[in-house]
Amino acid sequence: MSNSENKYWRGIEELESSPTVLGNSSNEFSDKLPMEEILGDSEELSSNRRDFLKFFGFSVSAVALAACNKAPVKYAMPYINKPENVTPGQALYYATTCGVYNEGFPILAKVREGRPIKLDGNPKSALSQGSLSAAGQASILSLYDINRLPNPKIEGDEEEDWSVVDSKVSEILKSASGKSIYLVSRTVTSPITQESIDKFVAAHNAKHVVYDPISYSGIKAANQESFGMNVVPNYQFDKADVIVSFGADFLGTWISPTRFTADYTKNRVPSPEKPEMSKHIQIESLLSLTGTNADYRYTIPASKQGRYLVSLYNMLSGGSGDAELPGNALKQIASELKAANGKALVVCGSNNKEDQIIVNAINDLLGSYGSTIDLGSAMNISDYNEASFESFVADVSKGNAGAVVMMDANPVYSYHNGAKLELALQKTKVISTTMIVDESTRNAAVHAPDNHPLESWNVYQPMVGHYVTSQPVITKVFNTRSAVESLRAWSGETVKLGEDQASHKWVTDYISSTLGVNANQALHDGVIMKSVDSGNPSFAGSASSAAATIAANYKKSSGFELALYQKVGVLDGNSALNPWSHEMPDPVTKVTYDNYVTISRNDAESNDLEQGDFVKISAGGKVIEQLPVLIQPGQARGVIGIALGYGRNIPNALQNDLIDLGKNAYPMVQASTSGTNYLVQNATIEKVGSGYEFAQTQTHHMIEGRDYLREATLDEYKENNAVRNEHKHHAITLWSDYDYSKGHHWAMAIDMNACTGCGSCVVSCHIENNVPVVGRSEVRRRRDMHWLRIDRYYSFEVDADQTASVRVGPSNVDQEFKKGQFSTMENELAGLDKNSEEDQDFGHYDTVKVVHQPVMCQHCDHAPCETVCPVLATTHSSEGLNQMTYNRCIGTKYCGNNCPYKVRRFNWFRYNMNSKFDYHFNNELGRMVLNPDVTVRSRGVMEKCSFCVQNIQMAKLNAKIENRKLTDGDANTACAKACPSNAIVFGDRNDPDSRIAKMFKNDRSYKMLEEVGTDPSVLYLTKIRNRKEEVQHS
Amino acid sequence: MFEAQIRQPLVEGNKSIADVSNDICRPIENKPTKLWWLGFTISFAFLLLMALSLGWTVWEGIGTWGVNKTVMWGWDITNFVFWVGIGHAGTLISAILLLFRQKWRMSINRSAEAMTIFAVLCAAQFPLFHMGRVWLGYWPLPLPNAFGSLWVNFNSPLLWDVFAISTYLSVSLLFWYLGLIPDIATVRDRAVSKAKKFWYGFFAMGWNGSARTWHRYEIVALILAGVSTPLVLSVHTIVSMDFATSVIPGWHTTIFPPYFVAGAIFSGFGMVLTLLIIVRKVLNLEQYITIGHLDAMTKVVMLTGSLVGVAYLTEFFIAAYSGVVYEQYAFLNRAFGPYWWAYWTMMSCNLLAPQVFWFKWARTTPWFIFILSIIVNIGMWFERFVIIVTSLHRDYLTSSWAMYTATLTEVAIFLGTMGLFFTCFFLFSKFLPVINMSEVKSIIKSRE
Repeated sequence: MSNSENKYWRGIEELESSPTVLGNSSNEFSDKLPMEEILGDSEELSSNRRDFLKFFGFSVSAVALAACNKAPVKYAMPYINKPENVTPGQALYYATTCGVYNEGFPILAKVREGRPIKLDGNPKSALSQGSLSAAGQASILSLYDINRLPNPKIEGDEEEDWSVVDSKVSEILKSASGKSIYLVSRTVTSPITQESIDKFVAAHNAKHVVYDPISYSGIKAANQESFGMNVVPNYQFDKADVIVSFGADFLGTWISPTRFTADYTKNRVPSPEKPEMSKHIQIESLLSLTGTNADYRYTIPASKQGRYLVSLYNMLSGGSGDAELPGNALKQIASELKAANGKALVVCGSNNKEDQIIVNAINDLLGSYGSTIDLGSAMNISDYNEASFESFVADVSKGNAGAVVMMDANPVYSYHNGAKLELALQKTKVISTTMIVDESTRNAAVHAPDNHPLESWNVYQPMVGHYVTSQPVITKVFNTRSAVESLRAWSGETVKLGEDQASHKWVTDYISSTLGVNANQALHDGVIMKSVDSGNPSFAGSASSAAATIAANYKKSSGFELALYQKVGVLDGNSALNPWSHEMPDPVTKVTYDNYVTISRNDAESNDLEQGDFVKISAGGKVIEQLPVLIQPGQARGVIGIALGYGRNIPNALQNDLIDLGKNAYPMVQASTSGTNYLVQNATIEKVGSGYEFAQTQTHHMIEGRDYLREATLDEYKENNAVRNEHKHHAITLWSDYDYSKGHHWAMAIDMNACTGCGSCVVSCHIENNVPVVGRSEVRRRRDMHWLRIDRYYSFEVDADQTASVRVGPSNVDQEFKKGQFSTMENELAGLDKNSEEDQDFGHYDTVKVVHQPVMCQHCDHAPCETVCPVLATTHSSEGLNQMTYNRCIGTKYCGNNCPYKVRRFNWFRYNMNSKFDYHFNNELGRMVLNPDVTVRSRGVMEKCSFCVQNIQMAKLNAKIENRKLTDGDANTACAKACPSNAIVFGDRNDPDSRIAKMFKNDRSYKMLEEVGTDPSVLYLTKIRNRKEEVQHS
Repeated sequence: MFEAQIRQPLVEGNKSIADVSNDICRPIENKPTKLWWLGFTISFAFLLLMALSLGWTVWEGIGTWGVNKTVMWGWDITNFVFWVGIGHAGTLISAILLLFRQKWRMSINRSAEAMTIFAVLCAAQFPLFHMGRVWLGYWPLPLPNAFGSLWVNFNSPLLWDVFAISTYLSVSLLFWYLGLIPDIATVRDRAVSKAKKFWYGFFAMGWNGSARTWHRYEIVALILAGVSTPLVLSVHTIVSMDFATSVIPGWHTTIFPPYFVAGAIFSGFGMVLTLLIIVRKVLNLEQYITIGHLDAMTKVVMLTGSLVGVAYLTEFFIAAYSGVVYEQYAFLNRAFGPYWWAYWTMMSCNLLAPQVFWFKWARTTPWFIFILSIIVNIGMWFERFVIIVTSLHRDYLTSSWAMYTATLTEVAIFLGTMGLFFTCFFLFSKFLPVINMSEVKSIIKSRE
């Protein structure tokens, strides 16, 4: 260090030591730092250095702490070129089709970021009326099915190049010269597909054979004979005041159930203005979904159905019948039908031509044609002709077929002699356009997989004059090609291979030239209506000869009659790989996953069978080795029922409960060239084991005289609109009430008169809210995850003297606690006292009454779940929603215990990406169906119905963007949207014009368990039955 | 002070003060016996089972249990209430009996308190591990947090439980440890090894036995007794509110707080009897834990058992009298429903069995009391099972009625907590004086 005396200065001011400069030199910055300006203009913020250090210290530690938590890295892939109309986060809806019941069911597909995630009915079409059945809802998953063929296959080897496939196919077709070439498809309702088939047939001199698993040929043949029209008529249930159904499950599985349900309920809800409803009488052998909704229901052995029909016909034409229901009910029905004055409708589920001719004759007598039945706008279903198919089978068996093109048809599985057909098919080359490998195409020479309906262009005509357009709503998931294009390519036409432009052009050309409407508008609407001349057909059939045939053919079955039926969720079995269809409980039995033998209580007793016993069934020379027995109240004696659609034998890439599901009952179907009969005589059952546990979502089936389910007769309703609801509870609360009068107050109403229990809402909710599929064993453990369930209760119609032993009616709990009853009530069906004389005949089981009650979170304004959560994970919104904050939930399950409605569902396991639950949540493809607006819940948290809060939020945001008020219907729940009967109404009860606000004024409405003081936001509307006698309820 | 010779002496065998120290320090100073090793090994094996089964639960999920959408609490909360109940005797004996100057408590309070603490530890496993996300188990604590303005719900009885149980545990622990200090000092003074001297010296906190120390000790003991006394009543009252404040028929009853407290004391004394009958035999302490003690405790068992029985009957009467369908059904279902066996086990174990204690022979025959004490504990476990499971499995909507069966995992966890309990107790009997020497020394010449 030098001790220099040198003085340095920065400027002359400093050298001269002016006071300002000296003063400033002590400040580092010559100007005052504008901290207040930077940090805001609030006056109290006059932070000093110490405060700064405090803030600094806090921020550093907070950031450090936050950084300790390793956040998962997620990649968001932006669009390089943003597609037109696609805004991330905004859903788009396209009108297109799905293939349930029938090709070309009109739907709206909700598409998010290029992938369809939810299907709803197309409100513009009379077929869906804005709703979609459970099976239709579930069908979206077949798009993301990991079992779909990703590429064409030649002789078992994958081949990516379609031109190679095409040359292979033409090679096969060429080598087949001299032999027949067959094209087997399901009923074709699309003119585009038909044209392709025609071209293929022409090019190769092939034969087109139609195969459907379920035949309606009896109805067609009957109409051919009665009216000269080979059609399935258009039944109009909304126009009928009296509906008599002989075994037709028109609300569940018969012809077009969604549309029938929508029509049916239009005339089933009485109001103070019009206190009338149709009367529905069901005469059947198995308890069908339709039967559960009937006002009167009679059980008959299915084999006697024809005789009852003849009796009814005779009674209507003034004579008397030899078959009569108990209490001369058939006579009564006849007079009611007559009194309906043309507004009557008789339908029959039989596929027997003679039965259907009698039905036609009855309807003709009643004047139903032109009033409740339209032959003009007929349903385009089931061109399946047994005779031509049998000759196809015979021809293939002889080795006369050079090649068989399987176009989405799967006869090996559902044809009654599938084993024979499978052997026969080995003698020929099978070319398949089916999306997956199924029983019929297991050994196909060429797999040329078709697009999924949601990936295809097409036009369908499911009903005469009713065209439905189909457009792709997603880029093809796999290397597939529309079968329509494949056929043309194989017919020698030059199509731009593998691209959908070709079929797009055919479709738009068809719409604009043949149908003569604007193609863009038509594709936008999804529906094109053409007027149809119903004509004035007159009945030309011979009822007497049909009656004579029925009488001649009637033989009393020795042993049991076996009735083969379809289940609402599974239908013909096409959805074998769809977990939603199987996890949905059957609307009647509440069994998931299985098929089984249903049997009446009385028969079970006399054959010494108990629920869960295994039996061997032999019928018509065929045997099913082992199926469990389910005792079904309301089933006719002497009849056993087995559901079709099970026992599929297809490869499944996933290890789950859908493998080896149930037993295939199709081999039992009685088919011949003249028709298909789903009733098999002379069946025998033999007990071979016991102890099967059904995976049922509900195991107690009686209401125990409690008040939460209310029903009355129409007469009572006419007298007093508030019948059963006279007594209102005035619950006292300790809490100060929140003021909901401002803003929205969401609420829901469920009309139990309209609800048929079809289960659409259950599946819709399942899909919308990313509810996990848990599988059979978890359902057995009573851990199904459905946010919305439909409770189904049985009650017995009993004579006065029987009341003592059967618990129905008023809630005097002390009335009948008989010894032994309680210990066995968990399985109610075995719960009656076998030693008591009244119970021994089980007569009350034959005439059982059913109520369906959908239950979801009731969004109680005084919710018991909310007060007990220690961490406030479930709270109430200012709009009356009971909210569940998954992130905050620690899983004490106290809320679930304290819920009087038991609607809370707990994530017992991790259901996603867990190989123990190998459903669509466990693979990348399946997860594409997830709704991005709804969190996939983690293990250990509680979940429940949210009133589809994501839809409410979306509706509010859209209204805000459009600068308008929310209107009724903007926000809607998945269940309400899906409901074909409009039984579920959702809305803002603060909006005086909303439908829900009106429901609150409806005298039929009541709150379930009001006396508990929960003040739920869900209303139920008393069920009204169009019956005469008192219903025994308090 | 004159004492009538007709009264039984509180300590038998005409012990001198030195005898007391020798007798009670013997298990600590000697090598553990084979019997001890056997018991400890078995207990420890069960403790490992607990670790295993809890680990499995955390790894897989609560789905490994038998609980379902209707019965969301099963063995877990049954065991929780069971263990909390067992914990009650300790505090009652050491606090309330201290305030009532019941000198006979002196030779049993130490082990009863130890039992309380171990039982509460066992109990704590259940509310913790019944959570779906146990790793967030600290969220019910009102901790300032960085999750936003998240706070706990003071309306929730589960939160009350958190406070009640943690308070109870800390006060009991403090009380127990305080009582141990003079005895630890005795062990320290007698210790020969350096390690023992160090550790017992550490925990004796410099106890020197001066009059001032004794005075302070007595005062703090009295204060803690005063603090603990309301806890005896409050803890199980609050536990009962988990049920009483709910809306579920069978839970929603105002009788629960006193009924639960009586039941807790009942089961607590049952467990104390079980343990002490073993301890007095195994550790040769019959002269300290006398027949007189057993006699007094069985009287408490009989009284509380009868109280509980009255509560059972009152519940039925109120259910019938209320006219509420659901309530009536819930109680009939208890007695005659599918879980009837649980109900009747409870009734016969809790109400009927203790009535034998009207007879002097029953009150003074250790092997018989031992069996009865086990029966009492079985009965009390079933009481909780009956309340929890039979109320839940059939509540309002009959569609949701379901059955509940415990899985092996749940059974293993329960057996495991038994392992935890007895492991702790064996360690306690090895390393700490099981009888309060300093207090007993003051009563060796006293009579009842």
